[in-house]
Amino acid sequence: MAHKSASLNKGYAPFLIPGVIAFLLVIILPFLVNIGASFTKWTGIGTPKWIGLANYVKLIGDVNFWASFRNNLAMIIAMTIIPTIIGLLLSAILFDYIANKFGRGMSNFFRAGFYLPQILPVAIAGVVWGWILQPGSGALNELLKSVGLDSLARNWLGDASTALPSVMGVMVWFQIGYPLVIFMAALQRVDPELLEAAAIDGATWLQKFYYITIQLIRPEIFVVVLTTTIHALKVFGQIYVLTRGGPGTATLVPSYYSYQNFFEKANVGYGSTIATVMTIIIILLTIVFINVQSRQQVAEGF
Amino acid sequence: MSAKMSRPLSIVLATVMLMGLVACGGGATPTQAPPPAQPTTAPAQPTTAPAQPTAAPTAAPTQPKEQRVLKLWHYESLNGAMGAAWAEAIKDFEASHPGVKVAYEGKGFEQIRQTAAMILNSDDAPDIMEYNKGNATAGLLSSQGLLADLTAEATKRGWDKILSPSLQATCRYNEKGIMGSGKWYGVTNYGEYVLVYYNKDMFEKYKVNVPTTLEEFEAVMDTFVKAGVMPLTLGAKEYPSQHIFYDLALSKADRAFINAYELEGKANFKGPEFTFAADKMVEWLKKGYYSKDSTGLGAEEMGVAFIQGKYPIMISGSWWYGRLVTEIKGFKWGMFLFPGAKYGAGSGGNIWVVPTKSKNKDLAADFIDITLNKKIQTLLGNKGGIPINADLTQVTDPQINELIKNFDALVKNDGLAFYPDWPVPGYYDVLVSNIQELIGGKAPTAVLDQLQKAYDEGIAK
Amino acid sequence: MTSASRIIHQVGKYLSLIVLTALLLIMLAPFFIVTLNAFKTPDEYANKGPISMPQGLYWGGIEQFWKRVDFTTKLLNSALISISVAILGVGLSLFNAFALGIGKVKGRILLLIFFVVANTLPHEALAYPLYYFARLVKLYDTQLAVILIFSVIQSAYGTYLLSSAFSTFNKELLEAAMIDGCSKIRLLLNIVVPISMPTLSVLFVFFFIWTWNEFFLPLVMLISNSKQTVPLAIAVLQGQHLMDATQSAASALLGILPCIIFFILFQRTLTRGITAGSIK
Repeated sequence: MAHKSASLNKGYAPFLIPGVIAFLLVIILPFLVNIGASFTKWTGIGTPKWIGLANYVKLIGDVNFWASFRNNLAMIIAMTIIPTIIGLLLSAILFDYIANKFGRGMSNFFRAGFYLPQILPVAIAGVVWGWILQPGSGALNELLKSVGLDSLARNWLGDASTALPSVMGVMVWFQIGYPLVIFMAALQRVDPELLEAAAIDGATWLQKFYYITIQLIRPEIFVVVLTTTIHALKVFGQIYVLTRGGPGTATLVPSYYSYQNFFEKANVGYGSTIATVMTIIIILLTIVFINVQSRQQVAEGF
Repeated sequence: MSAKMSRPLSIVLATVMLMGLVACGGGATPTQAPPPAQPTTAPAQPTTAPAQPTAAPTAAPTQPKEQRVLKLWHYESLNGAMGAAWAEAIKDFEASHPGVKVAYEGKGFEQIRQTAAMILNSDDAPDIMEYNKGNATAGLLSSQGLLADLTAEATKRGWDKILSPSLQATCRYNEKGIMGSGKWYGVTNYGEYVLVYYNKDMFEKYKVNVPTTLEEFEAVMDTFVKAGVMPLTLGAKEYPSQHIFYDLALSKADRAFINAYELEGKANFKGPEFTFAADKMVEWLKKGYYSKDSTGLGAEEMGVAFIQGKYPIMISGSWWYGRLVTEIKGFKWGMFLFPGAKYGAGSGGNIWVVPTKSKNKDLAADFIDITLNKKIQTLLGNKGGIPINADLTQVTDPQINELIKNFDALVKNDGLAFYPDWPVPGYYDVLVSNIQELIGGKAPTAVLDQLQKAYDEGIAK
Repeated sequence: MTSASRIIHQVGKYLSLIVLTALLLIMLAPFFIVTLNAFKTPDEYANKGPISMPQGLYWGGIEQFWKRVDFTTKLLNSALISISVAILGVGLSLFNAFALGIGKVKGRILLLIFFVVANTLPHEALAYPLYYFARLVKLYDTQLAVILIFSVIQSAYGTYLLSSAFSTFNKELLEAAMIDGCSKIRLLLNIVVPISMPTLSVLFVFFFIWTWNEFFLPLVMLISNSKQTVPLAIAVLQGQHLMDATQSAASALLGILPCIIFFILFQRTLTRGITAGSIK
């Protein structure tokens, strides 16, 4: 047995060569340059000036950075937790219920529709959501007025108390399609006979969902949670077009903050510091996550 | 299974092959195609003084006379005044420079704004480019050695006589990249300023006149408020709010204040000017002159609201003029300068810069010359822009004349005060978000503190 | 089933459909708004606002935009880059995941982390270093640079997804093939690829769409207009002080149509799902 698996595992290393080289050049080297730049004061052109840990010290005391970090946690809720849960439920409904009652075409149609927000360019989505969330005559406030909920109308993006929730709402809208597509594909793997047997044994839909379905598509759930979390920690485009981080620091996120330093303030050194710190956090998160995931797989005999 | 799978795959492969053919075949862009070889008798240079590029660190050989290409970039809409005038200038240039082709590329403002330094530092830099004026943009690039020194050209060709000193301020930068004095690194050929647009019909209806002082202005707005009409449309999610903020500060300022703020890095946000501005903005909000909701509106929404006739007053830039002319259908409208102030936000327009890496600096200078001549300038005026060297008797539309005359008045009084986001790179975002907070209810002193802090941090570089 | 419960079932069926459709309409509302404004004249938009219906189908905005940015070239550029990245990215992911997920080489966890990390660096941090490298190897302002960069970035995700899926690959099948003396290449091409074709298709679609909509790194890398992509062309409409709203809407419509077509073409392959192992 041991001999068999050993021969199974030999000879795969060469397949990694193109990937590793490419990654070294395109990602790792720039990352090292980035780390190097974080110890300097530099405008991007010309020679950088070494200043040691000064940028990092500044970062620790930077109110804006910590505000942006807190907002990042809100982003994780909006981009990981909520879409994953909605994605799971929606995919089960579409895959099981709708497909059985109305046919595969109908469930495909809904899936395509829910995925569409992911295709719209972020800049345009920002402009359109700006129109919808406009105070006064924006579509959302008009809608509320027309059903008599006038008092709920707000200055969604311009008021510090509603700006972050509004951005979170837009992010949920944007993100739902991604887990949906992945989960619906993963559900193919669930043996329908397994579910029927459970139904015969008296399991409710919820019980089947929780004890069978979710367990079987666990690899995909891991992938979705990790990738959406990484995406949430890096989110930039939507913030840029919706609020540019304002009002004040209500919707500022680290990625936008580092962008401001890189490209608007010509503070490449400090921008690199922020980017390095965020990347290290993401790397640590990834390490923990993948370790947990692989231990799960080992436990299940894979 | 594999048969079904291969259908989309084969579509893809076919597309890729098609791409490959197109990419390989269509690689040569028309702008790179050299013009047919000219006989040696064709004069390629205009009769003005020989244009020798000064201070060119790389003595790059110019292209052979038969096939020179002037790579020109700008980001103005071709429907607008500048775009139209410059298109004509390109035609004139090619007519007077046989053997030279102008390779024009219309760029996006965002791309130039974000990546100008990178582009100019590479071999793909153009020969002449429109660029933003100010310390944070042109100043920064000039101090990094990316822009060619045009001083010799300026004196030789008389640009320093055409442009008044206040217009020259944005063309000249010292070694630290501060504008106002020093070598010529850019040349502007039009103007821009912030003014007040008003709805004439609504002014008539509520029986108010054009105000000449700030108090009268407030009285006018009071009248509207009493009649149940919100007077001022504002987009505080973008630049309009900071222009009003600045204009209010300028109403209490003098030239020393402006120089300290814009040129010397010595802004005082605790001083009377900015304190007045912050307090006034809050006071106007409380009096109902503009809406608290404006923090959620961009410049576009502000303009559209004015065009729809929803608000009688809009305080913003001359760049709106062309659009208002085309799109306002329901009412008569007019303009006036910010009442009672000697100084107002405004400056020379965007500047032509010549990258250090350009191999055609002489041609670039020729082109700049053409955009400054009377013919092109008058055309610019007639199209609704603000020229700086036009024959105003040839500018026919009375409303355009009014626009230009207001600008000229500001220039004559040395009233151009530039813009509030210029002194420090990235200050635009700082101003937008802090004024949003001010409107949202944060105490003026706290907001001014934050502005001071960000300003000082940015200057200390 | 009693007739009462049958009625409840029917009602339940159509109720769920109604709820889902309502949800879908909310999801797609922004698209309706974009379409409305793409066919308005600037006048209509300025005088009646963005949420109003256009008076007729005005094609001028679309025409003007198409000519202004030479949209045909931009479409071809985007298509070339996106398809190349999709192919290269999937290929790279396949090789990596083959070694990690099926081969289980030594240190696979570390290597997997190494690849996923590639997805964690924010693009603005990569901009300056990549700019300098590209200039060094004379690839600045070329589509090739963009293709190479994004193949690497996308394959980070692909490696992760694919190797997760491969971890449940049918071992008996692999062992049977090995016993038959199958080389690694044959193993990859003749067994692993056909079985995982559904997952590869998912990656292909994702990579195409993600690359198509990429804005920032192409902004940095592509300077000449003839090399630029669709998102950059759309950004041209955002001026310093003014924006052209109706043309932006028109450009948005034009920009997403290829992606929608692409997605619909590949819809069927997506339904096969990320199955791993079990050939019935």
